[in-house]
Amino acid sequence: MNVFPRDLPRWLGLAALLDWLLPRTLARSAIFMPKAPVVIGLYEAFGLVGQIVATLSALLALTALAWSAWHAWRSAGWFGSGLPAASLLLLSLAFVVVPPAGWLAVTYQSLLLGAIALAGLQILGSGLSRDQKTAGGLAALALALSALYQAIPALYAALRWPGPPPLAAWLFDAGELVVVVCPAALWQAYGRGAGRGMWLLAAVPALVFAALRLANPALTGILAIWSTGLTLYLPWPLYALSLWLAGVAVLASLRRGEWAGWALLMLMAGGYAPQLSTQAFLGLIALRLLAAPKARAGLPASEAPAVYRAPVEAAQPAGAR
Amino acid sequence: MHKRSRWLGGLILLGLAATLTFFRIPLASSQGLTLRSAPVTGALPVSDPGSALWLEATAIEVPLSAQNVTRPMLPDTRVKTVTARALHTDSQLAIMVEWADETHDDSMIRVQDFRDAVALQFPLAAGQPFFCMGQQGGNVNIWHWKADWQADIAARADMNTLYPSMHVDQYPFTAAVDPLAVAPADYVDPNYLPALASGNLFASATRASPVEDLIAGGFGSLTAQAAEGQNVQGYGAWADGAWRVIFARDLTSSEAEDVTFAAGQVYSMSFAAWDGANGERNGQKSTSQWVGLQLGAQTDGAAQPDQPRPSQSSAAAPSDPLGMLYVFGPMVLVAGLIMALAGGALALSALLRPKDRP
Repeated sequence: MNVFPRDLPRWLGLAALLDWLLPRTLARSAIFMPKAPVVIGLYEAFGLVGQIVATLSALLALTALAWSAWHAWRSAGWFGSGLPAASLLLLSLAFVVVPPAGWLAVTYQSLLLGAIALAGLQILGSGLSRDQKTAGGLAALALALSALYQAIPALYAALRWPGPPPLAAWLFDAGELVVVVCPAALWQAYGRGAGRGMWLLAAVPALVFAALRLANPALTGILAIWSTGLTLYLPWPLYALSLWLAGVAVLASLRRGEWAGWALLMLMAGGYAPQLSTQAFLGLIALRLLAAPKARAGLPASEAPAVYRAPVEAAQPAGAR
Repeated sequence: MHKRSRWLGGLILLGLAATLTFFRIPLASSQGLTLRSAPVTGALPVSDPGSALWLEATAIEVPLSAQNVTRPMLPDTRVKTVTARALHTDSQLAIMVEWADETHDDSMIRVQDFRDAVALQFPLAAGQPFFCMGQQGGNVNIWHWKADWQADIAARADMNTLYPSMHVDQYPFTAAVDPLAVAPADYVDPNYLPALASGNLFASATRASPVEDLIAGGFGSLTAQAAEGQNVQGYGAWADGAWRVIFARDLTSSEAEDVTFAAGQVYSMSFAAWDGANGERNGQKSTSQWVGLQLGAQTDGAAQPDQPRPSQSSAAAPSDPLGMLYVFGPMVLVAGLIMALAGGALALSALLRPKDRP
């Protein structure tokens, strides 16, 4: 039984990418556009398509989370490692009718934190290469800091402490620093050996970001917050470099047909300090994919491309070969 | 065949997503920053920022940044964060906003002076419009507290307050003997004071509240609600380098241009603040992104205004049965749901398991 059905990561990755770029980035840029009737109509259409894509992305994320819980139980023979995923799924659905408040919110945030920690431990304890473990571990750390940043106020509210929590801003900034550093590790793990074409293609979004930042820092800052949750408090060239390296890692992984490529796209689409539960689940699913990238879109490792077969086979236990 | 079934599956998913979107059934819940209003009984401390009752509400710290989308803008605004708390009763909501400000600026009489101010903003339509003044088709209700309006309530200041030696020969169309003591009532025709005659709140000789109740639907569309629609009360006090400002309003309002609240619901709100000493006014301000505002449901265990603040440990472990139910009920519910899911999964697994498998 595969970690995920063969097509699910690809569909989810595509839907998440569109959800990220259409309603959360492009549609929000409407505020900077002149308000001619044609432009308003165009953006209303963007908005409608974006809403459908966002719902589709949420639907697929919940499906993937349910599958992840199911797979954890089937493969491990007990329900323990799938428990946080299943609980998160149920709570997320319950929150559609019951607002997340008090201890219910603390329970949800704790489960999310626990699920991220478990996924991070799975990456570190897997048969991946050291570079892949470092990259996955950093991604898990960034998600954990973000989840902690969002969990602490819920705990304060449940305990009715006056607050505000003293470490909140520090945690947020530390998490953003990890987000910026992480793409270097991702490139080291997944992007090495990328061809010149991939480097050039991956440079396009980084150059667009740099040009926008130079032309209009304020607009860039606002769009970055809306689109990714990043506040750009670090020097902007670092963000441009990170974007470039992340792009190379994504392209190289997708070229090899690895799930890691879709996982990286989901991490980017979910964003830092996500505002919706399904965006947080994207990060969680991405970690599960990073923990098991050797399956190439559901194919056995032996059918993986030659470029990837050697490390996969080396990583397998002797009895399995 | 396999390809066809994949296409079919994709179309079914797309149709399901479109249906859910059409009927506005959300699949995701918000997990961003949320200000949770604590339910209390009795009167809210609407003019007492030092009341112990405020400590019943958990504060959140909201980051602000300079408004840099439209002119006029000031890239280096001074208010970087505000701290917010909220309390509510069955009928009223009060929100207290605190922020550090070294200077106490509560006058706008001289052209070089600008006041300190803070504003709250609530969307009037579903969803979250643009966080700076809303957008076309996405109006927002704005509560704008102004330090000079607060000072006017205590003692109305005018040009001769700042310049006591000033002299005026005469103000036309008045019957007053002392030109410096001219009041609006002294004008022979109120239309000679057109701003006052047209109900402009800025020109009002008396102030019922330091908060202006406004509506906006994009840049340049900010409009004050009519004088009879001004239903937000407020109180602000500056001490030790910090402002503490309270907004208060009934949960419900009959006016279409007002946001209405209900216990147990989640709303969006955002903040803006101005430091007058830095020349901040109008669009030159610090703004926040949208944060959630959630009104906790009223319970019998709601805090009483005159009671001393309970210790944190007693608040964390309520002793009355209803409080216990409120705290542990959701946990039991979740545990039950998880057990049900686990049982279902086990049963399904037994059904799907190949028969030849030992």
